[in-house]
Amino acid sequence: MNDGDVAADRFAALADPTRRHLLEQLATADRAVTELMAGLAMSQPAVSQHLRVLRDAGLVTARKDGRHRYYRLRPAGLTELRDWIDELERFWQGRLAALGDYLHETERHSTERHNPRDQA
Amino acid sequence: MRTDIDLSASYPFPPERVWAALTSSEALAAWLMPNDFAPVKGHRFTFRTKPAPGFDGIVHCEVLELDPPRRMVWSWAGGPLDTTVTFTLEPAGDGTRLRLQHEGFGGLAAQLVRRIMSNGWPRILRRHLAEWLAGRTP
Repeated sequence: MNDGDVAADRFAALADPTRRHLLEQLATADRAVTELMAGLAMSQPAVSQHLRVLRDAGLVTARKDGRHRYYRLRPAGLTELRDWIDELERFWQGRLAALGDYLHETERHSTERHNPRDQA
Repeated sequence: MRTDIDLSASYPFPPERVWAALTSSEALAAWLMPNDFAPVKGHRFTFRTKPAPGFDGIVHCEVLELDPPRRMVWSWAGGPLDTTVTFTLEPAGDGTRLRLQHEGFGGLAAQLVRRIMSNGWPRILRRHLAEWLAGRTP
């Protein structure tokens, strides 16, 4: 997959408010599913399913510790997402500069058309 | 705090001229990308750029708002990303100030990313660094 696909999957994963909530919980500490369930009116399988989507998107990792599975934020996933937004921002900066060039260029052409003597 | 993409540029031309460059298919092809745009609300159009692996190079758009020469909104979908692009024009002296907003990356996702990275970052780094160092202690 290319960077755009990965970014799209991550943004799609974060489109869901429950998953955003889970990610914010994990930003402060690693947590088990049972901890993450607190404050969510949701069954454990439902929460696990959301965590699975976040894992598939590369935004969290899981490790097993005895009977519990602990979830952790994957910082690289967020860094890459930010880099992707920054790249899109650079694209638009470049296009806005090109718009300026286009306006100057067309201005010059219309001036030349209207004042043919200036070209002599 | 900045959310999504919010850029401004000033041009030494009146809003009508800048508006014309934003709403002509030929002009858009010159400074943005080849397209089949038409300045009609509800018109669906595409931008075509170089395909990349996993991206067919086509951005699907629709004119959602058109208020000459002040404001234009497009939907902007490339792959599964569904976003909006808003152009706002304001007279500034003899010229024009153009604001470009590209929004809607998974709703509030971009905002969340920035919030976590600005607030939680030092703590996350400390936590991960401590573990990384512990893992490497002989």
